[in-house]
Amino acid sequence: MTFQFPSALFAILPIGGFIVFLYLLKMRRRDVRVPASFLWPNQVEEIRANALIQKLRPNILLFLQLLALLAIVGAVARPQTAQKGLAGEVTVLVIDTSASMSATDVKPNRFEEAKRLAREAIQSAKATDRIAIIEAGPTPRVISPLSNDPARQLAALNQTHATDAEGQVGEALRLASALVASLDGARIVLLSDGNFEPVSNFSRGKAALVYRCIGNLDDNMAINALGTSETPAGRQLFCGIKNHGSTPNSATLNLYADGKLIDSVKAPVIGPNGQWGRTIPAPAGAKVFEAKIDCSDYLKSDNYAVDVTDPTASLRVLLITKGNLFLERALALDPRVTLDKAMEVPVGERSGTGAGSYDVVVFDNMPEQPVKARGVLTFGLAGPESPVTASGASNRPKFLSAERSSLMENVDLASVYIDRQTVVKPKGLGETLAQTSVGPLVVASKDASKRQIFVAFAPLESDFPLQVGFPIFVANALDFLSGSGGTSTLSVRTGQTFSLPITTTAHLTTPNGDQIELKPNGSNLVVRDLNLVGAYKLSAEGKSRTIYASLKSDRASTIKPQRGLNLGGGTVKANDAPLRFADFWRPLALLILVVLVLEWWIFARKS
Amino acid sequence: MSNLVLEPREFKLLDGLRLNPRKSFGGKVRGERLTKKKGISIEFADFREYAEGDDLRHLDWNVLARLDSPVMRTYRDEEDLAVHILLDGSASMSFGEPTKFSGAVRLACALGYVALCGGDAVVPRILGMREPNQSTLRGRSSFPRLVNWANQSRDQEAAKDSLSTSIRQFVSSSTRTGLVCLFTDGLDPELPTSIRGLGGRGHEVLLLQILSDIELDPDLEGDLRLIDVERGTSCEITANGQVLKEYRRRLAAHNQELSDAVLRVGGRYALVHPQDSVEQLIQRVWKKQGWMR
Repeated sequence: MTFQFPSALFAILPIGGFIVFLYLLKMRRRDVRVPASFLWPNQVEEIRANALIQKLRPNILLFLQLLALLAIVGAVARPQTAQKGLAGEVTVLVIDTSASMSATDVKPNRFEEAKRLAREAIQSAKATDRIAIIEAGPTPRVISPLSNDPARQLAALNQTHATDAEGQVGEALRLASALVASLDGARIVLLSDGNFEPVSNFSRGKAALVYRCIGNLDDNMAINALGTSETPAGRQLFCGIKNHGSTPNSATLNLYADGKLIDSVKAPVIGPNGQWGRTIPAPAGAKVFEAKIDCSDYLKSDNYAVDVTDPTASLRVLLITKGNLFLERALALDPRVTLDKAMEVPVGERSGTGAGSYDVVVFDNMPEQPVKARGVLTFGLAGPESPVTASGASNRPKFLSAERSSLMENVDLASVYIDRQTVVKPKGLGETLAQTSVGPLVVASKDASKRQIFVAFAPLESDFPLQVGFPIFVANALDFLSGSGGTSTLSVRTGQTFSLPITTTAHLTTPNGDQIELKPNGSNLVVRDLNLVGAYKLSAEGKSRTIYASLKSDRASTIKPQRGLNLGGGTVKANDAPLRFADFWRPLALLILVVLVLEWWIFARKS
Repeated sequence: MSNLVLEPREFKLLDGLRLNPRKSFGGKVRGERLTKKKGISIEFADFREYAEGDDLRHLDWNVLARLDSPVMRTYRDEEDLAVHILLDGSASMSFGEPTKFSGAVRLACALGYVALCGGDAVVPRILGMREPNQSTLRGRSSFPRLVNWANQSRDQEAAKDSLSTSIRQFVSSSTRTGLVCLFTDGLDPELPTSIRGLGGRGHEVLLLQILSDIELDPDLEGDLRLIDVERGTSCEITANGQVLKEYRRRLAAHNQELSDAVLRVGGRYALVHPQDSVEQLIQRVWKKQGWMR
């Protein structure tokens, strides 16, 4: 047993001494003459005192009062007993549901083992213990709030499933900290294999952090690359396999084009952390390439990858900005977008010979430069290749009108407050799509090789990013710049959240065959929880889209259990047999109550 | 109360009663009590061979005629009975309303009257005080002397000896064995031992324990220092239900010990209140329990 406030024990001496002193005070008694005293029991129960001082006599009340004092001081010192168990008085169970938790080195798999441990913790918790459960998946969420309702907690636990996506354990820990960081005696229990993004900016507050590492082995082969590229010899399909384990391993690679097997080869034995690649000519006209490997490893979700070569199915976007979270979010919401960010245009992407790596370049209030990308979206500052000519700036323009076009569909600029607008005039093929009192606000141009959009204000110099129309405008702009009105095939990473310009209820069919109904949010349909690897079918507005979800994550494919974690600036080591310090003050409080009642009863009887 | 302590009606009740001792005691003078000694009375004792010089009035002529052998009839002798009236004069007898001592005096006089009327020799003695021995009283005419002795003014607070000490002194004195009538509250832890001493000396003990309500149901409450009026010792108590219960238990045990000690030496024991009347005592104890007939 330990004490949380052991210094409180020192109070026993002065208070106990005072109580004993009270018993040294002598009773002034009334003299009574009796015929004989030998019949009277020599029984003195002094309950009042009004004179000094007498020899201390054994007294049941003194004993009970000292016992009550001991119990009170003991309770104030907050005694604690160490017991084996995950849960404490207030516990947040953070369960990692990331892809690596599906590894089967622990039977049936790591995630089920984590659930078993959580179930044990819930079932062994005391009636007064409060437990919350957080699912640390791609989108961390509290599946059971702080409560002492085991039935509800177990029901919530049974609803959780492992994913084939990367988990946001850091976000989940921050969420747990927000729940219990201010509570004394709280603990955050992380049930994970430790394979997640490094966690920073995390403070556990008053809560203790217990990390229970799940997993033993690390044998895993993964497809870490799949793509096509144009070469002088024609379009080539490349597939890479990586051994993430610590022992050599081999695999059989099968490649498919539009669902047809085009290659099957047994890879040589690959050493620890070694890679092996396979390049073959890609069949002409094929759009969807899939790769599968058959091997003996513990994680299956990374043994499959898909690449969609439809030019409109994926967009590589380069954002030139000093920092604009709103714009980054809006771009990332598009499932086609693979976003990179820079302060200036890389040399290789500037206008010149050869093809660029990016499909679209976005200038966020940065001077526009000529680039190789076929689409350019410019906010604020015009450049030499912009479809406008700048002639100054004006403050607080008044919105006048907007043209009916696909770019401006569902976008209401009339309610947007613009602090500063660049005064421009369209040039070349530039077409004004929106107009304010000082001139064109949105100008677009397109020709066979290039498409451009110029917006005459910076998002951060307006409240446009706060408006509903902003992500819609960005999605419309990407559609315009990519030259497509939407695609029927998409490739996303598992767990990725994205939106599609769909306004009716849609039905999503998962790789397992489950049907999920999705309702649009205004003019967009937000799709999330594509947590399993495989092909999803999205049916809406009479059209069917195929969405391929694959893992393609080195971190998720690394399944070696991490025994030590760097969380919030400190290292947390795995604890296989964590102890919980249960407060012992309740039995003491009960003892105090019993002793005081007993003392009162004895006092009442004696007096 | 008259000078004679007893009411006229009580004299009538006492007339005709005689003490009924269980034992036979040798007397000093001829009286009305049969003794073990052979003598002249109407109580046949035994036969014996004729010896020269025997009184021929006691020769059994029927036996002589039938067996031709002279046989003498012997008879038990009749002498007086020594009745020792021991009155506890210790300080504890001054408690109660009326006091236990006054009750004891009244009952002692009543018993003394019965003894005097029965021709017994009454020897009164006060215990605890050092007084000259009273001469033996005989006959109904000595009753006023007995009353005078009992009514002497005494300062009980000045009692020098404890009850048991006084009894031991009585035992060791050269008194005639007889009936010892002890009138006391019995509040002496050594009293059972002293009673055994009386029995060992050959006396028959009649113990009349007189306890007032102060002893039987003390009305005490609170934190007290009890001062023993005889020994001068003190005892501190908190008079609560538990203590009073323990006191009653001890008193009952002490009384039982007294009773057992008396019965063991062939005596008689009774517990009375100082306010009990002589009539009540006669009906409840003396006649009912066979102390008198």
